[in-house]
Amino acid sequence: MSSLDPTTDSGRPRSFWRSLDERADTPEFRQFVEREFPAWADEMLEPASRRRFLQLMGASMALAGMTACRWPAEPIVPFAHRPAGFVPGEPLHYATALELAGAAVGLLVTSYDGRPIKVEGNPDHAYGLGGTLAWHQAALLDLYDPDRSQHVAQREAGPASWDDFVAFARPHFDALRAVRGSRLAVLADASSSPSRADMRARFTAAFPDARWYEYEPLSRDNAREGARLAFGRPQRTHVALDRAETILSLDEDFLLHHPAAVRYARDFVLGRDPDGATFSRLWVVETSPSLTGSVADRRIAIPNRAIQAFATCVLAKLVHEAGADLPAALDGLGPVLDAARRHPMYGRVDADLVLDLAGKAGRTVVLAGPRLPAETHALVHALNATLGNVGRTVTYTAEPDPDRPSHAQAIRDLARDMGRNFVDTLVLVGGNPVYDAPADLGFGDLLARVKTSIRLGAYEDETSRVCTWHVPRAHIFESWGDARDFGGTVCLIQPLIEPLHGGRTDLDLLAQLLGEAPFAAYEIVRRTFARGAAEPDPRAWHEALRVGVVAGTAWPEAGPTIGTAGWSKRLRAALDAPAYPEPGSYELVFGPDASVIDGRFANNGWLQELADPLTKLTWDNAVIVAPATAAEMGVRHGDVVRVTRSGTSVELPVFVLPGQAPRTVGATLGYGRTRAGRVGSGAGFDVYPLRVGDDTAWADVRVEPTGRTYRLATTQDHFAIDTLGAQERAERAVTLVREVELEAWRHDPQHAMPGEHAVAPVELWKPHEYPDERWGMAIDLNACTGCGACVVACQAENNIPIVGKAEVARGREMHWIRIDRYFAGAPDAPEIVHQPVTCHHCENAPCEQVCPVGATVHDAEGLNVMVYNRCIGTRYCNNNCPYKVRRFNWFNNQKHQSDLEVMIYNPDVTVRSRGVMEKCTFCLQRIQSVRIQARNEQVRGENGRAAGRLIRDGEIVPACAQACPTRAIDFGDLNDPESRVHRKHASPRAYRMLAEFNVRPRTAYLARVRNRGGHPEGAA
Amino acid sequence: MQDHGKRPLIFPKWVDSLRPVVFGVASIVPVYALVLLYYGGSPRTTDVGYMPAQPVPYSHTVHAGDLGIDCRYCHTTVEDTAHAAVPPTQTCMNCHTGIHPESPQLVPVRESFSTGLPVRWVRVHDLPDYVYFDHSAHVSRGVGCVECHDRVDKMDTVVQAQPLSMGWCLDCHRNPDPHLRPLDEVTNMVWEPPGDRAELGARLRERYGIAPSEDCSTCHR
Amino acid sequence: MSVVGTTAPSADPWDNTSDDPTRRAPLVLGAADYASVTEKVAELAERRRPPRAWYIAFGVSLALTGLLGAMILYLFTTGVGVWGLNSPVGWAFDIINFVFWVGIGHAGTLISAILFLFRQSWRTGINRFAEAMTIFAVICAGLFPAIHVGRVWLIYWVFPLPNQMQVWPNFRSPLLWDVFAVSTYFTVSLLFWYMGMIPDLATLRDRATSRVRQRVYGLFAMGWRGSNRHWQNYERVYLILAALATPLVLSVHSVVSFDFAVSMVPGWHTTIFPPYFVAGAIFCGFAMVLLLAVPARQWFGLEALITLRHLENMNKIMLATGMIIGYAYFIEFFIAWYGGNVYEHFAFVNRALGPYAWSYWIMVTCNVIAPQLFWSKRIRTSPWVAWGICVFINVGMWFERFVIIVTSLSRDYLPGSWGAYKPTWVELCTLLGSFGLFFTLFLLFVRFVPMVAMAEVKAVLPQADAHASPNEPERRATGTLAVEKA
Repeated sequence: MSSLDPTTDSGRPRSFWRSLDERADTPEFRQFVEREFPAWADEMLEPASRRRFLQLMGASMALAGMTACRWPAEPIVPFAHRPAGFVPGEPLHYATALELAGAAVGLLVTSYDGRPIKVEGNPDHAYGLGGTLAWHQAALLDLYDPDRSQHVAQREAGPASWDDFVAFARPHFDALRAVRGSRLAVLADASSSPSRADMRARFTAAFPDARWYEYEPLSRDNAREGARLAFGRPQRTHVALDRAETILSLDEDFLLHHPAAVRYARDFVLGRDPDGATFSRLWVVETSPSLTGSVADRRIAIPNRAIQAFATCVLAKLVHEAGADLPAALDGLGPVLDAARRHPMYGRVDADLVLDLAGKAGRTVVLAGPRLPAETHALVHALNATLGNVGRTVTYTAEPDPDRPSHAQAIRDLARDMGRNFVDTLVLVGGNPVYDAPADLGFGDLLARVKTSIRLGAYEDETSRVCTWHVPRAHIFESWGDARDFGGTVCLIQPLIEPLHGGRTDLDLLAQLLGEAPFAAYEIVRRTFARGAAEPDPRAWHEALRVGVVAGTAWPEAGPTIGTAGWSKRLRAALDAPAYPEPGSYELVFGPDASVIDGRFANNGWLQELADPLTKLTWDNAVIVAPATAAEMGVRHGDVVRVTRSGTSVELPVFVLPGQAPRTVGATLGYGRTRAGRVGSGAGFDVYPLRVGDDTAWADVRVEPTGRTYRLATTQDHFAIDTLGAQERAERAVTLVREVELEAWRHDPQHAMPGEHAVAPVELWKPHEYPDERWGMAIDLNACTGCGACVVACQAENNIPIVGKAEVARGREMHWIRIDRYFAGAPDAPEIVHQPVTCHHCENAPCEQVCPVGATVHDAEGLNVMVYNRCIGTRYCNNNCPYKVRRFNWFNNQKHQSDLEVMIYNPDVTVRSRGVMEKCTFCLQRIQSVRIQARNEQVRGENGRAAGRLIRDGEIVPACAQACPTRAIDFGDLNDPESRVHRKHASPRAYRMLAEFNVRPRTAYLARVRNRGGHPEGAA
Repeated sequence: MQDHGKRPLIFPKWVDSLRPVVFGVASIVPVYALVLLYYGGSPRTTDVGYMPAQPVPYSHTVHAGDLGIDCRYCHTTVEDTAHAAVPPTQTCMNCHTGIHPESPQLVPVRESFSTGLPVRWVRVHDLPDYVYFDHSAHVSRGVGCVECHDRVDKMDTVVQAQPLSMGWCLDCHRNPDPHLRPLDEVTNMVWEPPGDRAELGARLRERYGIAPSEDCSTCHR
Repeated sequence: MSVVGTTAPSADPWDNTSDDPTRRAPLVLGAADYASVTEKVAELAERRRPPRAWYIAFGVSLALTGLLGAMILYLFTTGVGVWGLNSPVGWAFDIINFVFWVGIGHAGTLISAILFLFRQSWRTGINRFAEAMTIFAVICAGLFPAIHVGRVWLIYWVFPLPNQMQVWPNFRSPLLWDVFAVSTYFTVSLLFWYMGMIPDLATLRDRATSRVRQRVYGLFAMGWRGSNRHWQNYERVYLILAALATPLVLSVHSVVSFDFAVSMVPGWHTTIFPPYFVAGAIFCGFAMVLLLAVPARQWFGLEALITLRHLENMNKIMLATGMIIGYAYFIEFFIAWYGGNVYEHFAFVNRALGPYAWSYWIMVTCNVIAPQLFWSKRIRTSPWVAWGICVFINVGMWFERFVIIVTSLSRDYLPGSWGAYKPTWVELCTLLGSFGLFFTLFLLFVRFVPMVAMAEVKAVLPQADAHASPNEPERRATGTLAVEKA
C-alpha cells in the first residue's frame, strides 16, 4: 500500500499514469511496479520493449538493418522475496463478487503476476453458477481506465492528498458529532452489503439527527411497494423458471435487467429442454422490445400504461371464463374484475394465454417488471396466488431494510431539505445524482449550494464537479467488502490488486468519518463476518474467501398473507384510464441500456462497442420507433427528432425497430454523459431531462422531425437496406437459423428438422487426419438468449482492441464472436432470433487455400490457426470466408494506449500489430495450457508409458462458453464419442451452416425450438 | 548501314573487353546478395554470442560447474511451468548470508535483499513476444538444458549459444532423437550417451510418447 | 510512288481503308521511302524541343505521379485503413486498379506477338508504342498488389526465397500464381519491346549529332551494325520471343481471373472468367492503344505511318471483343439463374438492381452499347469519334472490375455480415496518380525513343519486296494474299 499511498509519495499531483516518464524513476513507483507486476515491470518501465512485436516486424523489413534483429535489452525483474506458493507467469484465481442493481453475482478473477486480466463466474455461487453477463466481464476494463480519478480533489484547492482530506474531515465531523449530526446528510447508492448496513447503523448512532438517503435512478422499488400493498410488508419475489410450464412476463426483462438475471437465464433455459419433460412457453407483454421479449414464444406489444389493465383482464378472464377460483383473501378484487370485462383490453387477452395459465396450479409463473406501478405488482401477487403458484414456483423472502423510503422519495426529500438549506454537509457515496436524479429537482444547482459536500466517486464526473471534496473510490477489484446476492447469501469481496490510484472504498470513507480509522474495510468486513465475535473463526473465514460465498446466510423463505385492502380501489380507478396516449403524442418508455445500464459504465469501451442485443447499435442510444409509427411520424431511420415533454425537449436520432408497441417510442438511459471520461463523454444522448416527476417509467411526449440526420454505428445492417436485400435477408434467415416447432419435434425428432443439402464431398487435397483430439464446437440456439456476454468475454480473453464509433460505422469492428440478429414475420409482431457466429474452423477452410504466404493453416487437432507473425495482410482470406468472421487490423490499434491500459492484456495471447488478420482461435491458449499440463502428467505417469492421462471432456473451456449464463456453447473433442460436444453434434437438432458448400464447418448449431402452441396471431 | 566501318568509333576498342566482366558481375551479384542476406540476416549470425553485462558478476561456472549445484535449485519452476523463473534474491542469500557475506561483488544482492528492490538482470535468451516456449513441456520429455543453453556450467557470463531461430527449433522438432536423454539426466551438463545417441533417442521417444508437433499453433497463439 | 494514287478508289489519298479485293491497300501513305520513314520517325526523337503540348502534358502527369507517391507514403505510414475498405469488402480500388491496368497491358503483346505470328503486317505501324504502353501499364498494375497488403515491408514473403523460418509460400493461392504470371509477362514484354527496338536505336545512334546521344543510344543499341548475321539472329530471336509471348497473352489474365474464379464468393466463383477476362483485356487494351495513337499521330504528324486503316482494324477488333464481353455478361446471368444456386443468383440480381446497380449499368452502357457504333464505317474511320468511344470503353472496363469485386463482396452469404463500401479521397487520388505514372512514362517514351518501329515499317514498304512485279507490286510486298483477302 505504501508505495501508492499518496501520503508517502512526493505529494506532487498523482498524474504519473498519464506522463509515465517523469515519474518512472521515483523509487516508490519502481518498487510498487516491480512488486505488483514482476513480469511486466520491464514493460512499464521501458515502454519501448512493449512494442517489440512491431519492432521485430520492422526489423525483418527487407532484413534492412540486420543488427536490428537484436531488439533492445530486456530486463528480468525477479522478486527480492518471492511470496510462498507464487509462481511467476502462472495465473491465479481469486473469488470475489460484483454488485449490480443491489444484488451480487459471485466471480472468479484470473490474476497474472498480480494483474487481474480476466473475470469468470463463480461456479459455487447459486446466483451465477459460473455464468456472467457482459457487465461482469467488462468491469475489469474500468480497473485500468486511465480516466478514473487518481487523487483526492478539493474544489478550490484542486488536487489534494488523502491526508489533506483527513485533516479536514476529522475536526469537521467531530464538530458534527457534537451537534448529533444535525444538518448532515448522506446520499448513497443502493448496496446490499451487510458491512455497509452495519456502518450505516453506526453512522446513524453517532449522528442521530443526520439523514441517510439511498438513490438509484433505475430501482425496483415499485416491486417493494407492490409487495407492501399486497402483504403489508415489502417482500422479494423469487421464481422457479425451470419448473414453470407457462411464464407470463409483464414488462420484466428477467434475462438481462434483473438482479438474478444470470441465474434466471439458466433456469429459464433448463425449463426449455426439448428432450426433457417440461418445455415452458414464454408469454411476454411489453412495450419496447427487450431481450426477454426476443426469446418469447408469444409476444404482445402494448403501451406501458395499458399493461396493468391487461393484467387485470387476464385475472378477470381466468376467474370468469377459465373457472379459476379467487382466494377468499382476494374477494376485494371482485368488483375490479367485473369492471375489467368491459375494458377494451379484455378482448386483447389471448384465449391461448388463459388456457396456458388456467388449471396448472403451481406450474406457472407471472412476473412484473420494475417499470410497472406498485398496484400491478400487487395484482401479480394476486395472480400468482390465484394460480396456486405461491410456495411452488413463486416464493417470497422479506426485503431487507423495509422502512427505508423509496429511492424516488428519498432523492425528493433530500432535494427538499437542500432547497431549504437544511443540509450543510452532504456525503455522497457513489452514484451520480447530478446526472441521473429526476430533472425537475435541479439537483446540480442544489448540490452546488451545499456548504460542504464530500463525494466518493470513481470518476471526477458531473457530480464531483460541484462537490467541495472528491475522494477517488476504489474499484471493486481493489476493494475489501461484502454483498448479498438476490437470495440474501453473503458474498465476500477481496481485492486483487492494491488500489492503483489510492482509491478508498465506501467502508473506508465511513470509517474515516466515524473516526474509526485506521480501522478500514478489511477489518470492517471481518468484523461483520464475525457477527459480533472479536475475531472471525480463521478456518471459516479462509474457506469463505476461497469459495467466495458465506454458507447459510441466505434469507429464510417467508409466508406472507395477501390482502386487497387499499389497492383494489386504485386498481379499479386505473381501469378507467385510457390505454393509449392522446392522438398526436406518444408514450416514451425509459429503459436501462444493455451496455451502460444507467450511465455507470459510460466510460467502458468494451461495453460501448458491444452491440445492443436488438438494435445492434454501438456507442449511441436512439429513440426506438416501430416501422408503422415511423411512417406515421414521417421520419426515417437515422433522422434526428425533437422529443418534447412539457417544455423540455431532447433531440436524438430515430432507430426504426420492429416490435415497439404502436403509439409508443422507447429510449434507453445512461448516454449523453458530459464528464464520463474520454470514452463516454459525448457518446449518445441524455434522456434523463425528460424523466421528471414521479412517473419515471414512461412519459407522454411529442415527437417532431428536425430535418437533420445522424450517423448511427451498428454492427449489423451497417446501412439502410433496400427492399431487394431485405427480401433476400428474410428468405436466407430461415435456412441459416433453423427452428423447429415443439409439437413437430416431440412427435418425431428425426424428421422435425428441414433436411440439410447432402453433398458428396470431392476432396481436392488429401484430407487431414486427427489421431488425437479433434476440437469442435456446438452452439445451442435454443439456449442462446443473445445477451452478449460471450462477446465481451472473448474481447477480454483475446486482447481484442476497441476501435471506436467511426470505425464500427465503417464495418471494422474487431469482435471475434458476433451475434447475428434476424427478424421474422410481420414487422408489427416480429419474431427475433439470435445466432452467435464465430470462426467455424472449417475442415475445407476456404481461407487456408487462398493465403499466399500460408499464414492460416490447419493444425493436427483440426484447428484453423491464424499465424499473426506470418500474415502480410492481403485480406484474401476474409474475402473468401463465407461466414465473414475474420477481422483485420486496419490501423495500429495499440498505438495510443497508456502504460496503464496495456496491463489488461492477456500475456498468453499475442497482441496483434497493424496490417494483420485475426479471428477466433477456439481460445488456443487455453487448449495449449491444458494440453501441455496433461501431456506432462502423461509422461510422468507410471514410468513414462505413453498411456497417461488424456484431456478430460470439459477441461478446456473457451472464454465465450465459460461466460455464457445459459451454457449455450459447448467445446470439446469430436473424436471422443462421450464428449458433450460430440453428443450435441449427433443430435437431430444439429445442423451446419452453409454445409452445402462442403467447407465442413466444425461448429454445429442446434436448432431453436419454438413453443408457440395454439394459433399465434403474432407469429407469421 | 554497311558504312559503319568508316564511322569514327563511339566507344574505344577496350570497351569490348569489358563485356565478359559485365556479364560476370550481372550474374554473380544477385546470387551474392541473396547469400549475404540469408546468412547475414539469420539469427545464427545476429544473435548467437549475445553476452550482455549483468548487474551482478554471477558465475555459472562456479555455481553450476565447480560447486555442481543443480539447475533446479535456483530455476525452481522449470519442471512445472512455461518459465524457468530467475530466482528471487532470497535464494542467493540462502547461502550468501554465510558464504562471502562481505564480498563486494554481492553488494547489489545484499542491497536488493534489504531494500526489497529486485536485481535487474538482463535477459539473454529472449524469444519474440509472439513465440510461446514452454520449459516444462521440453524438460519433462527428456530434452536437456544443454540442448538450448549449451554448457552453462562453463559460462562465467551467460551467453546465447544457439540461434533460437524458428528453423533451429524445427530441426529438433523434425528429428528429436539426437537431442533426447533419460529424464533423470535432463539437468546433467556433462551427460554422455552410453552408445549410439540416435538409437537411444529413438527408444526414449518411444518410451516417452514424444511426437513433436510442427504446427504453427504449437508456438504461436 | 504513283501506286498510292491509283490504289485508293476514294478521292482522299489518305484513306486506305477500302477493302477492294482485287487491290491491296498500302500500309504506308504519302511519298514514303526508306529515307523518308527514317527521317519522319527519327526526327521526332531527335528534335531539340518537343511541342508545348508535350510539356503541358508532361507537367500534369508528373504532378499526378507526385500525388501517387504522396498517397502511397501516407498509406505506408498509417495503414490500409486510410482506404474505405472494411469487412466484408476487403478489396476494392486496389485490386480493381490492378486488374484494370493488367488488362490495358494486353494489347501490346497481342499486337506484337500474335499479330506477328499471323502475319498481320499492319501491326508494324503501331506495335512499338502498343508495346511501350503495355510495359507502362503492367508497371502501374504491379504497383497495386504490392501496396495493398497490410504489412508491405514483408511483401517479399510471397517470393519463394530460402529463409531461416523454413517456410515457403502457399502454392495453392491464386495470389501467388499472380506473382509469377505478372512478373513473367512483364519480363517477356520488356525483352520483346527492347529487342524490337535495337535496330532503330542503332539508327538513332548513327544519326546522333551529340556525343552523349551517341554514347547512350550506342550503349542500348548493343553494337548493332545491321550485318546479315545480326538480322538473321534478330529475326530468329524475335520469332521465338513472339512464340513465347503468345501463350502469356492468354495466361496472364486467365491467372488474374483465378483470383476470383477460384474463390467461393458468389459472383466470383464462375468458370467463364478466364476467357471473359482475356477478351475484356484485349478490348480495353486496344481502346487504350487507340486512345494514345489518335492524338500522337496528329500531334507528331504520323498519319502516313499510323493510317486510318490501322485505326479501323483496331476498331473492328474492339467491336468483336466488345460483343464477346456482352455475351459473357449475358451468359453469367443465365448460368446464375440456370445453376439454381440461390446465393449466386442473388449476387447477380443484386448487381443489376441492388445498391450498386448504377455501376452495373455504366458498365453495360460503356462496354456493350458504345462499341456497337463501330458497325458504321464512318465512325470507324473518323479518328476522334473513335477516340471518344475508346474513352467510354476504358471507363466501362474499370467499372466492370468494380462491379465484380465490390458488389459481390458487399453481399455474400450471411446477411448479418453484409456491408457497403465507399471509397475515400485517398483511393481516388491513388487511382488518379496511377494514370499520372502511366502517362509520365509514356511521354518520356515518345520523347526519347522512336515511337514507330522504323525497321519493321520499312519492311512493309513496296520497295522492300525485291521481286515485286510491275502489275501488282504490292502483292508480295506484304505477306500472302490469302491473309489479306480473308
